[in-house]
Amino acid sequence: MAAVSIHQFAQCITCHAWSPDQTMVAICPNNSEVHIYKLMQEKWEKIHILRKHDQIISGIDWSAKSNKIVTVSHDRNSYVWNQESSEWEPTLVILRLNRAALCVQWSPQENKFAVGSGAKTVCICYYEQENNWWVSKLIRKKHNSSVTSVAWHPNNILLATTSTDGKCRVFTTFIRGVDSRGSGTGLPYDSKFGEQIMQLDLSSSWAFAVRWSPSGSTLAYAGHNSMIYFVDEVGPSPSAQSVSFRDLPLRDVLFVSEKMVIGVGFDCNPLLFMADDMGTWSFVRFLDERKITPLNSKYGSQFSEAFGKFYSQSKHGIGNESVEPSKPRGGAHENCINCILPLRKESDTTVKRFSTSGLDGKIVIWELHDQ
Amino acid sequence: MANPLRSYLTCIRNTLEAAMCLQNFPCQEVERHNKPEVELKTSPELLLNPVLICRNEAEKCLIETSINSLRISIKVKQSDELENILTKKFLRFLSMRAEAFQVLRRKPVQGYDVSFLITNYHCEDMHKHKLIDFIVQFMEDIDKEISELKISVNTRGRLVATEFLKQFI
Repeated sequence: MAAVSIHQFAQCITCHAWSPDQTMVAICPNNSEVHIYKLMQEKWEKIHILRKHDQIISGIDWSAKSNKIVTVSHDRNSYVWNQESSEWEPTLVILRLNRAALCVQWSPQENKFAVGSGAKTVCICYYEQENNWWVSKLIRKKHNSSVTSVAWHPNNILLATTSTDGKCRVFTTFIRGVDSRGSGTGLPYDSKFGEQIMQLDLSSSWAFAVRWSPSGSTLAYAGHNSMIYFVDEVGPSPSAQSVSFRDLPLRDVLFVSEKMVIGVGFDCNPLLFMADDMGTWSFVRFLDERKITPLNSKYGSQFSEAFGKFYSQSKHGIGNESVEPSKPRGGAHENCINCILPLRKESDTTVKRFSTSGLDGKIVIWELHDQ
Repeated sequence: MANPLRSYLTCIRNTLEAAMCLQNFPCQEVERHNKPEVELKTSPELLLNPVLICRNEAEKCLIETSINSLRISIKVKQSDELENILTKKFLRFLSMRAEAFQVLRRKPVQGYDVSFLITNYHCEDMHKHKLIDFIVQFMEDIDKEISELKISVNTRGRLVATEFLKQFI
């Protein structure tokens, strides 16, 4: 299990998204543009720049079936980009937000998408044929703080959110005319739009990065107190597990399979969590083997080290009291990783490859060997 | 080396290591704004508990964290009047050139001698471990600098007094 390839795309990447066939990648280089790169003869070439937003873009999602890109930005707007011949044409989304939009995700059937915002609301957007724009329905007054992450259940109706008030919530998002009732969703609830099904108050700090497992039976989210939470039996009586780890908090998580989760965050190194046969989750290991560079113990360097010590002592006249400087991390990423996405081939049932992007401007592709 | 200063600085370093988990976060209260939450303090849920690290009464360090910013306030040891005035003058000199240091705050927090403000933008541009090294190095050097200044003031004072009193012999 290791990093397969590392590409430096920009100074800093806030989020990235892959095209359905994974030959193109859309990134936001920490400004108001989206750059689309295509792999041509082993080299990534910039082929499009999407310019429409006027503040930093906080979320990109590329739909797998319909080949549409949705972007949200701190400027309170969202656009859906459609590829027409060779150009990407934006369509405005009427979000009706008065604060920044923070995250976005297409629903599994790609007829809706959800936007989390700093206005403490979630927008569920759908296409209106007659006006040729995307309109939104808001889930209001349910969150007490900014919504940091949204995730769709595979049934296209349930939506999980996390927010900076430390709670994780699950809503139904049934929209008349868009969703058909009883289309194999198996919902025992009389689903009304925006009804809160569950509220989890496990984290004492901000919550981030909510994701459903592939089957939708387990929910995972991360807290800023270096914890990850796993929730089974989503409904009126959920059962939850909290797993704490000793490293820095997570910023995004990914379900590789029903029993395996990869978390990325401020530790610059993906963490692997696994469930055993009893369904008990635990931290297994880091994915990136850290290269610990041994100190060169050649005579020359030793001498200069000693000389340097002597020199500094003579200068300050006190013993060398300095604390050793912290060492840079010798991993694939050098700064916080804030986005992890699966790279799924159509034939695959489980995720074998995934990509991470971070504030160091790199996209790293990882490959999972059989466990 | 069981050095009290060293354990004090190591404690600060470890706290900073854990506290410097910052991300871009737009203001919840004002439209299209993005400000350090630790300065505004408009939403209490976006602030973490402040950490106070004390070596003794006179030497302490306050670390306040929010979702997108971090404030470190340092009180430097001042054992007498002379050290007091030297610290004040020296840190004022630095604070007036705050933009050259990027992370230095122009005005220290009430009750402290010098404050640093680190935002998510600094973490994006700079390496986190270098930033922490800078803060710790600064704290290490400031004591040395002040005691050196004190010695040179005393030496000069003695020299001037000697020269001045020579004329009366």
